[in-house]
Amino acid sequence: MTEKKREKPPLYESLTDPDGIPASLFFPALSVVLGLASAGALMLFLGHNPVAVYLDLFSFAFRDIYNIADIFAKAAPLILTGLAFAFAFQAGLFNIGAQGQFYLGAVASAACALFFPFLPSRLLLPLCAAVSMTAGGLWGSMTGYFKARFNANEFLVSMMSTYVAVAVMDFLVRSPLREAKGEYPQTDVLAEAAWIPSFLPGTRFHWGFFLALAAAGAAWILLWKTTLGFRMRAVGRNRAAARFAGIREKSVFVSVFLLSGAFAGLAGFIEVNGVQHMVVQGFNPLLGAEGIGIAVLGGAHPFGVVLSALLFGALKVGGLLVTQTSSVPSSIIAILEGFVMLYVILSFYLRHRLKLAGARKRAASGGKEP
Amino acid sequence: MILEGILVRAVQMSTPLLLGSLGEVIVERTGVMNMAIEGIFLLGAWAGFTGAYITGSLAAGFLGAIAAGVVVGALYGWITVFLKQHQIVTGVALNILAAGIGIFFYRVLFGVPLLPLTVEPLRPLAVPLLSGIPILGPALFRQNILTYLAWGAMPLGWWVLFRTRTGLVLRSTGADPEAVDAAGLSVERVRFGAVLAASALSGLAGAFYSIGYLGLFSNDMIGGRGWIAFALCFLGNWNPLGALLGAVVFGVADAAAITLQTSGIRMVPNEFLIALPYMLTIAATVARKRFNVPASLGTAYFKEEK
Repeated sequence: MTEKKREKPPLYESLTDPDGIPASLFFPALSVVLGLASAGALMLFLGHNPVAVYLDLFSFAFRDIYNIADIFAKAAPLILTGLAFAFAFQAGLFNIGAQGQFYLGAVASAACALFFPFLPSRLLLPLCAAVSMTAGGLWGSMTGYFKARFNANEFLVSMMSTYVAVAVMDFLVRSPLREAKGEYPQTDVLAEAAWIPSFLPGTRFHWGFFLALAAAGAAWILLWKTTLGFRMRAVGRNRAAARFAGIREKSVFVSVFLLSGAFAGLAGFIEVNGVQHMVVQGFNPLLGAEGIGIAVLGGAHPFGVVLSALLFGALKVGGLLVTQTSSVPSSIIAILEGFVMLYVILSFYLRHRLKLAGARKRAASGGKEP
Repeated sequence: MILEGILVRAVQMSTPLLLGSLGEVIVERTGVMNMAIEGIFLLGAWAGFTGAYITGSLAAGFLGAIAAGVVVGALYGWITVFLKQHQIVTGVALNILAAGIGIFFYRVLFGVPLLPLTVEPLRPLAVPLLSGIPILGPALFRQNILTYLAWGAMPLGWWVLFRTRTGLVLRSTGADPEAVDAAGLSVERVRFGAVLAASALSGLAGAFYSIGYLGLFSNDMIGGRGWIAFALCFLGNWNPLGALLGAVVFGVADAAAITLQTSGIRMVPNEFLIALPYMLTIAATVARKRFNVPASLGTAYFKEEK
């Protein structure tokens, strides 16, 4: 080939190249800014100056070491529910049931800690983690099995299974796992041996965050470095072609939902053993939905999920303090997430149009680009 | 007495499921899923309550709910039909957004009231003579106007879909968009119109919970019932009469759960009764063998490529 190496692409082209790294950072960032602006416009209805609210939000989030550490504590379970959605999405499947898988993982982990309070930490923690992943994974794999065996719609089944899981959790914390005092629908506080050790003493930043990071790394290796991952992505790209290539899509359905549910279940372990140290009925009710937003913002890539989860963690820490200290209601966080997701979707359209325009321009100028 | 109570409530509780699933059948027949349905239910409930509370007129509330549904539907239709973005992802985003907006503006308008604000919900209209029939009479002939309307809409929907030219166009758009295109009709416009109609029906359905039945608005009042209406479209095999059958089954399950909970009978944990409609949906989704899925369901139509 005599063709010389192409010069560095100008900024515009590198941004609009849909597969390039700058574009995959620029457009999500733009979506976040537009989302902040749109949610800010709604604050005007409450007579708030959105600029002041956002300045408060970010100064609260980064005010002191405790709050900064809290960002990591908040991000840890978000990484995992984000992974739960992103992982299935790479296989072209929709796991909308992360909330239910998270709840069952949380209850299972708490039950394990309450049943074996005499075990030393080094045995109890891995056991709780394994139990939570098993609970979430089995619950998730039910969806995959129904899809594989009966061709059931996985979106509907995983959605409905969340409401069933909520009822199961409500029953367990109201009856068999209820606190000894019997006052509220919640479990007793776990023995300290079952607490995930703190990373920064005096804060809620615990080692569970690094477990979540490891899970993201494992998801990346699984998806891009193993045969199973190749099969999953092949099924996601083109189900018919994968079938012709001899990939058994049914076993892919089950394994994707098993692993996806295990990620969400592990979020239960991290949240219960790392932060809450008990299970309260209906805690963290938005974790599953937030995971979907995080996965979409992160381009369904494990590393993108980590970055988005950190951003959402910061928004949550700051947002929570803002809603506590002013009259801005906490639903503003859901609105913000909804707007950000919407702008990410619109940016897909924009990127597609820019790519088409770029291709036409090259074709018109007789360029040698394909 | 308990049986009569369950039947009356079952017919009543099937109302929003009927309206929502009819809309879903219409729109899915054109090849688009109305994935924003849960959010539209909640926003419809909010808009219905707000309209009725502020104006003092239930009719204004229902109109407001329809308008709210159409606004969300227009956004969803624009992104999925015209910009051709992913229907499920767009739906998930709009559901989160719609729920947040309803709760936000309830707070903006009414602050944090100590007791939930209430309006007088729809009153039952008894049909003379017929409502006197034992057991079935009150269930079928002593309901509110919206319930009569919803039950009447299902056969009407069937007739429009399968016996009129409009229905033929709707069904062809989902089954064979190229043919509709070749006939000189705009696939995009048909789909967008169907999304708007379905969203209007879903907004109305949502308002049934707030002002047709309870007379108040709360954050968790829909709790997945929009998704049940969505599921009924699948289970009814994309046919309004099939959806009607499903809605009756779910109405009975819902009514039995509420009646048994309030009557103090404890045979099984409450949570089991609460989970029953969702487990039924899963069971029915799994048990359904032969599907009559519209061929282009969930896929955007690109005119220039074909």
